[in-house]
Amino acid sequence: MFYQTKFRSITLIAALIFLASYASFGSYFAREIVVEIIILAILAISLDLCAGFGGMVSLCHGAIMGVAAYAFAIMSAKLGWPLFPSALIGLLAAVVVSGLVGWVTARTNGIFFIMATLAFGQMAYTFFFKSRWLGGDDGMGGISRFDLSAIGLEMNNSLTFTYLGLGVLLLAYGLTAMVMRSGFGRTLSGIHVNEDRMKALGVNTAAHRAKAMAFSGFIAGLAGLIAAQHTLYISPELLIWTTSGEALIVVILGGLGTLVGPVIGAILLVLMKHEISDYTDYWHAFIGLVLIFTVLAGGRGVFGQIEYWLNSLRSRHHDPDNHQTAGKPQGGDHA
Amino acid sequence: MLEVKGLSKDFGGLHVIRDLSLSVTAGERRVILGPNGAGKTTLFHLLAGTLKPSKGEIFLDGQPIKAFDAVKRARLGIARSYQKNNLFETLTIRENLMLAAAAALGKSTHMVKDSSRHPDIRQRIDEIAEQVSLADQLDQTVGTASYGNRRQLEVGLALATRPKLLLMDEPTSGVGPTMIDRFHRLLEQLPRDITVLIIEHDMDLAFGVADRITVLNFGEKVFEGTPEDTRGNATVRDIYLGTGGYHA
Amino acid sequence: MDLSFWILQFLNAMQYSMLLFLLSIGLTVIFGLLHFVNLAHASLYMMGAYIGISVAALTGSFWAAFFLAPVIVTLIGAMLYFTLIDRMRTAGPMNQVLVTFGLIFIFLDLVRMGWGDIALGLDGPQSLSGTTRFLGVDYPAYRLFIIALGLGVMTTMWFILSRTQIGAMIRASVENTDMAAAMGINVSTLFFLVFCFGCALAGLAGVAAAPILSATTTMGITILIPTLIVVVIGGLGSLEGAIAGSIIIGFMETFGAVMIPSFSAVLTYVLLAVVLIWRPQGLIPARG
Repeated sequence: MFYQTKFRSITLIAALIFLASYASFGSYFAREIVVEIIILAILAISLDLCAGFGGMVSLCHGAIMGVAAYAFAIMSAKLGWPLFPSALIGLLAAVVVSGLVGWVTARTNGIFFIMATLAFGQMAYTFFFKSRWLGGDDGMGGISRFDLSAIGLEMNNSLTFTYLGLGVLLLAYGLTAMVMRSGFGRTLSGIHVNEDRMKALGVNTAAHRAKAMAFSGFIAGLAGLIAAQHTLYISPELLIWTTSGEALIVVILGGLGTLVGPVIGAILLVLMKHEISDYTDYWHAFIGLVLIFTVLAGGRGVFGQIEYWLNSLRSRHHDPDNHQTAGKPQGGDHA
Repeated sequence: MLEVKGLSKDFGGLHVIRDLSLSVTAGERRVILGPNGAGKTTLFHLLAGTLKPSKGEIFLDGQPIKAFDAVKRARLGIARSYQKNNLFETLTIRENLMLAAAAALGKSTHMVKDSSRHPDIRQRIDEIAEQVSLADQLDQTVGTASYGNRRQLEVGLALATRPKLLLMDEPTSGVGPTMIDRFHRLLEQLPRDITVLIIEHDMDLAFGVADRITVLNFGEKVFEGTPEDTRGNATVRDIYLGTGGYHA
Repeated sequence: MDLSFWILQFLNAMQYSMLLFLLSIGLTVIFGLLHFVNLAHASLYMMGAYIGISVAALTGSFWAAFFLAPVIVTLIGAMLYFTLIDRMRTAGPMNQVLVTFGLIFIFLDLVRMGWGDIALGLDGPQSLSGTTRFLGVDYPAYRLFIIALGLGVMTTMWFILSRTQIGAMIRASVENTDMAAAMGINVSTLFFLVFCFGCALAGLAGVAAAPILSATTTMGITILIPTLIVVVIGGLGSLEGAIAGSIIIGFMETFGAVMIPSFSAVLTYVLLAVVLIWRPQGLIPARG
């Protein structure tokens, strides 16, 4: 179950400050990296909601992000709608597609859920890849950025764009954290732990899981909107299953079921990728080794592991009454 | 309150429940007795909706509920505690009760407020914890809690939904005499607006709390009556008590 | 389009089906026995192709590559088994997916380090070059060889599984591992042998495919998804299912590409989704 502990708040704020200073003191290239981190972090938060709390290891989250980006681009660039309504349509499309996938897969578990989401994600990928109207594998451009000059923001300034992206990341985290500690989010954790008992308590678990997927689609949609706004161009690459795989790596690297972990994981993965590729072409192998090591080390992830150490220190030195506010990362086995 | 008519359940060719009829009045404490394999737990599955009957009808307060699934029946006020612990193992006892309380109070679909701080939910958790004597163990993880505490939580989860009809499957199986005493008191203190069906092997408890007793054997009802009648009945003695008592 | 066109498509579909079969049979038996989802199975297929190319270059013989590559891939598989697979068996599907996803990354870069980024070809054997007249069409002899190879492996496996002692042990263990162990079957040795056998078939598929598809760093990832689809459609752990699945997917993709080109790519995913929703245990589910 999720608790927004002090340690989590401090870590999140520190991460955001780090990203903001990295962007403002760094070059244009540094800002590109920060936006890349933001997109991956939001996608990973969305996936953590499903996988970490609901036990639904989805391989279609990249596709859901892509659906939002495409829907936004179709409305604004193809049909000439204004940007804000187009963005809302983009989010709505992600919610609907994600909810539908959740609804039809609500009774599958474990490897079957993974495969089913893989199938739906690849279906969407293939659809956009083959669609000539939408540019096929070349992708589509003609997207423009929001005009926020009315409130004094110049979106074409890369620093302003990055700050706004950080704002969206904070919003995505805040919304997800709020929902995860609500009755809805805790019930989702309950379904993950013991679905039968949750049914016996009168909870329609299938509908609950579908709703969780729909909400997760909304968060993934935010990532899709930033991706489209960032490069002003989208391609089917966004939807391919390895994008979801990368998000899953980020979640496990940072700490499954912690929400802050995915943000830390995204920072680590993207920075590692860029740092290592300065020295060698073989950063894939390095990421692979890190991933295997993370799983073998107990699967708690970097943030999850630190939190685990802190909690065991605390419970050794203090009275056990603090348990309620102490976070309980749900690492390890998710069957 | 609960009316069962001509209920049957076959598994393949095996008749686990045969043409069973029951009538339980509101507020009654009904004990179900019977040897191993008599179909007692199957009967609870059929009542709770986790198994579909092959034949027969079930009415709750006059409403036919056979077509309803387990979720819908739970929402109508049927709660159940299990013979084998069926808990949220990786969560704390408080979190377990929180889930049950949130479900019962209609908060499990609310997406804004922190449910662990909700006053109604907290109050319900404290009440139930008091009732099943778990107030001091609330922050213990279920997986590390003692067997006795887990049995108490098993009943607590069912009670936390404030059911109309409570189905308890051997609530005291495997616990010591102190715990059985405590459980006895809990049952006596339960308000009479809850109707209770208990599958029980502890004779003292069964005769002590029951208003009426139903005895099953090979899926059929072989006797029904007051505890006094049951004690004196020859058939019951033969199939059940005659074997020198049964212990799980 | 005349009859010979359809015969040609039929042979293409058969050849693709047999390749899928060689990969999926190993994957599905490993899942059935070990309950392990090995995404890196496709990486072993890629290793088979690259190792085959090197062996052929060193020895100058395709057949040396054909027989040695599966052996070397099996050794790699055995190493994986003792370092990772064995200890991940009870870790749940998510951790298995993650670890083998990591392995895919590592194998990808190992290949790039050893053989570079460019596609490498492998010459088929001299004796199978050119075309042969078959069913009234001229068809590349080497592709006919792959069809024969697949059918040969299929028959051998059927024979092993239905007529031999070890086959009976494997079937018993797929159905009920605990019972098999109680009957005195050395389950862990059996697991290891079956895993090695699956790796050998993946290596064989790789080296056999190299003359047709040429070896690329993405060949593993490319074949992984259709192979997983075959395994899930057929029924995880089911031998008959892997056969049926390979043929269904092989024919659907081949004929779909000619008959309904715009829709064919989506078709397999639709089929997978439909099977997962209506019959999640697969078309021919494994027992147990």
